[in-house]
Amino acid sequence: MSDDDETARADGGTASQSETVEDERFEEHPLEWDEPENNDKAPDERDSVSHRTEKYDDRKLVTGQAKYTADYEERYPDLAYAAVVRSEIPHGRVTDIDTSAAEAMDGVEAVLTPESDAVPDAKYTSAGQSYPEPSPWDMRVLNEHVRYIGDPIAAVAADDRTTASAAVEAIEVSYEEYDYVTDPEDAFGEDAPQLFEGGEVENEIVGHDYDRNRMAHIEGELGDVDAALDGETHVHETEWETIRQSHANVEKHTSLAYTNEDDRHVLITSTQVPNHTRRQLAHLFDIPIRDIRVTKPRVGGGFGGKQAMVVEPIPLALSLATDRPVLYEASREEEFYAMRSRHPMKVKAKTAVTDDGDIEAIDIYALSNTGAYGSHGMTVAGNVGSKPLPLYSKVPNVHFEADIVHTNTPQTGAMRGYGAPQGTLALEGHLDEVARDLGLDPVEFRRRHHMEVGDLDEIAGMMGGEGAERRIRSCGLDECIERGKDAIGYDDLEQPAADHLHRGIGMALSAQGTGVAGDELGAAQIMMNEDGSFHLQVGGVDIGTGADTAFLQIAAEVLGCDEADIVVKSADTDVTPFDYGAYASSTTYISGMAVKKAAEDAKERILDWGSKLLDEPTENLKTGDGTVYSETSGDSVTLEDIGYEAVYGDDEREHILGKGTHCTEESPPPFAAQFADVTVDETTGEFEVHELVVAVDCGVAINPGMAEGQIEGANHMSYEMAVSEGITLDDEGRAEVADFDEYGLPSATETPPIESILVETHEPTGPFGAKSVAEVPTNTVPPALSNAVRDAIGVRVREMPITAEKIKARLDERKD
Amino acid sequence: MDIELTINGERTRVEAGSAEDLATVLRQHGYIGVKCGCDGGACGASKVFVDGEVRMACGMAAADADGSEIQTVAALGTQDDLHPVQQAFVDNFAVQCGFCIPGMIIQAVALLDSNPDPTEREVREALDDNICRCTGYQKPVEAVLDAAERMQGEQSVAADGGRSVDGPPRRAESTGCCGGGCDE
Ligand code: FES
Ligand code: FES
Repeated sequence: MSDDDETARADGGTASQSETVEDERFEEHPLEWDEPENNDKAPDERDSVSHRTEKYDDRKLVTGQAKYTADYEERYPDLAYAAVVRSEIPHGRVTDIDTSAAEAMDGVEAVLTPESDAVPDAKYTSAGQSYPEPSPWDMRVLNEHVRYIGDPIAAVAADDRTTASAAVEAIEVSYEEYDYVTDPEDAFGEDAPQLFEGGEVENEIVGHDYDRNRMAHIEGELGDVDAALDGETHVHETEWETIRQSHANVEKHTSLAYTNEDDRHVLITSTQVPNHTRRQLAHLFDIPIRDIRVTKPRVGGGFGGKQAMVVEPIPLALSLATDRPVLYEASREEEFYAMRSRHPMKVKAKTAVTDDGDIEAIDIYALSNTGAYGSHGMTVAGNVGSKPLPLYSKVPNVHFEADIVHTNTPQTGAMRGYGAPQGTLALEGHLDEVARDLGLDPVEFRRRHHMEVGDLDEIAGMMGGEGAERRIRSCGLDECIERGKDAIGYDDLEQPAADHLHRGIGMALSAQGTGVAGDELGAAQIMMNEDGSFHLQVGGVDIGTGADTAFLQIAAEVLGCDEADIVVKSADTDVTPFDYGAYASSTTYISGMAVKKAAEDAKERILDWGSKLLDEPTENLKTGDGTVYSETSGDSVTLEDIGYEAVYGDDEREHILGKGTHCTEESPPPFAAQFADVTVDETTGEFEVHELVVAVDCGVAINPGMAEGQIEGANHMSYEMAVSEGITLDDEGRAEVADFDEYGLPSATETPPIESILVETHEPTGPFGAKSVAEVPTNTVPPALSNAVRDAIGVRVREMPITAEKIKARLDERKD
Repeated sequence: MDIELTINGERTRVEAGSAEDLATVLRQHGYIGVKCGCDGGACGASKVFVDGEVRMACGMAAADADGSEIQTVAALGTQDDLHPVQQAFVDNFAVQCGFCIPGMIIQAVALLDSNPDPTEREVREALDDNICRCTGYQKPVEAVLDAAERMQGEQSVAADGGRSVDGPPRRAESTGCCGGGCDE
């Protein structure tokens, strides 16, 4: 920085000086991105990307031959099965564990308690995040101090599942019971029972105040919100509430551990984060990282619930204790009360708007209930503000604040959307109400304010720290709105004939990120076989999203071969390079870019061999259709010939290998516009959702068929958040849900048709223009449906789920 | 106890505890296309055909299946030669993590057997107890409707004695009866 600039900063900046500052930012965050050659291909130039390529593992999946963790059972005849004793009280201390009856049972191999040698004593967080982890180390594998109904106390390994469960039943636990608190607002109070002693937690998080059960407090401001709120404007304030949503992955958390012939500890596990899990296990068990191998077979859904080391330490401890392979598969009931869920939150939104409808200030406050432990507590709460607020990046004054508190309730964690669904409900519901109060069309109101290409998103900087601002280089919001409006029939809505029925349409916008800016890493390597085929080893994790297929399409596009000529191995820490894991919508963008770089690295060598064999300079050569060809001479050589020559040829043999690593400060937002069409009965409050339409700008969709699937699945999850109770708890914090029959996942008949629309833009920082797609449509149905009900019948439901009873209650209030 | 089952065309005698459910027994014998997503009867992942009827294998005592013919999803088609319903799931991107898919396909085959030309509503009703967390049901429903069309197309082509225009017939020929989905 020059001296002049120094002065400009110091005296607060005049108009011209602030322009200098603007320019500087432009340099740091240029609009024109120095894009590698060939990244921006016109649709007709694309051979592999943006095609509806068949999903790599689909034939195995539809014939029932693909293997998930539990399917490895038959490989280990000596397998033992784990089961866990969990706390039956919300808060207290275990004074005695009587394991004698269990130990005496036939077929019981080991019973572990917190005292056992094989059980690590170290503290850790289950959150599978970067290192150092932005979550507190507040957990132990097995606990004496129990903090919720479900806390693990003891673990059993037995010859079969039935014996393991019977052994768990036979274990008697005595407790000293403590007072407990389940309501987040009460937990915050001075006299509330305290979950953690000061100093007890390691790796404490900013703003913690354990005397008040506060795990973290975060805050950020741009401009001066108080001043703007005091100005001569309309000030609106609303409060919103969200459910404790379950991931409900159909494959339960499952993990198999054993020690192999090389004395290395192997975990076959259903995880989104193999590398983080390896590191966390090494820390807990004090085993060198190199001696742990974490491998992921097919994963039956994760949605963030497996972005955590939830079950792995238990089978590992039991296998160390028994010297046998051990499988732990959580029960479906445990899934609901002892795995993870979305953080339930109360979110307040406040705005100052001028008479002309300009938004002068937005203030968001979130109170997040993190449950008994703090995994993902601070980072999820941060995203309540940092994901949706940038939609309105032109607003000059913005404030965001969150408190994350402990209660004696089940553990929360990462879940698809990661805080953005809670924030999007509050912001998009609130702004809709503001527009309606001011007599403005809510769609036009948003259109006037939303983010555009070229905007510098300073809100990302406000939350992410200095330098985290980002320049928006792709934004298809206008097209999303336009096409969504058309698809839902926004402009020609017909009212039902019956007087008591009213139809309305609600809309909501959404933005997410693509990876965590500056805090991700993906790596890949590719090797060429002598027949011209390839092996791609990539740390990126396919958890059912189709990531493997996207990787193949990216590699094939670069190498000019058929996807079928590439074998992909994703995520085995012994074989595949490092990757942060499948979360934060990063897989295609970060790991996919690593794949692209690896393929380009290999391609360079391939072109050299092509040049040698064709006797032409590499500048003339291209790859395509499984060959290297020259546009100048028309000559070509097949990749098979090159593969063969490289390893068996006469001179200077080499194995063609490519490697790529990718990390970036960028995290471009994908965007979505959601529409919901609803008819409400004003006599009963009953409503029917006719259709959900969601238009998404994910840049270039690497595989449009898979992208639509991601959008529809995310929207279904979002719909559930709007209309289902989630995991309800009784007064002691006990989950009232034990099975899918009790958990209100909307079934095929209960789900309205979902139309997904892909709006293509080009994100220059992503592989072939791609951004992310998996999370952004998870955020939008709760606000869109709340807005639709408001549109239909004039009443507002702000606490999820939206039910007929609540609508009816609001209608009755209105009558009084 | 010792029970006799014909699984995907193969007759086998298996040992099953009196309390053991059919899903566990099938899985122990390597029929991993039978998935368990819940602790019984609430997700549909473990659906198989038992004597041509769709049953959740987790909710049925193995002993009660003694003497039955069982078809799992693996009986419908091979990876090289998928059943039209399997093919439609692939072509319509109806498969994400795939964990629920064997159960869904079994149910879809059963539906199309009894109702070859279902409405969208009928498809949704048929899949109502098959939980899928990944797809939002949109693409699975489209896949089943697509499969219905393909299978009807095939039938009419077959009646003419001709071949399907887009290649060889997709139905597996070597797997024998596919549990109600085929007309053999
Ligand atoms: S496992 Fe059989 S229905 Fe869920
Ligand atoms: S595809 Fe994952 S549960 Fe259906």
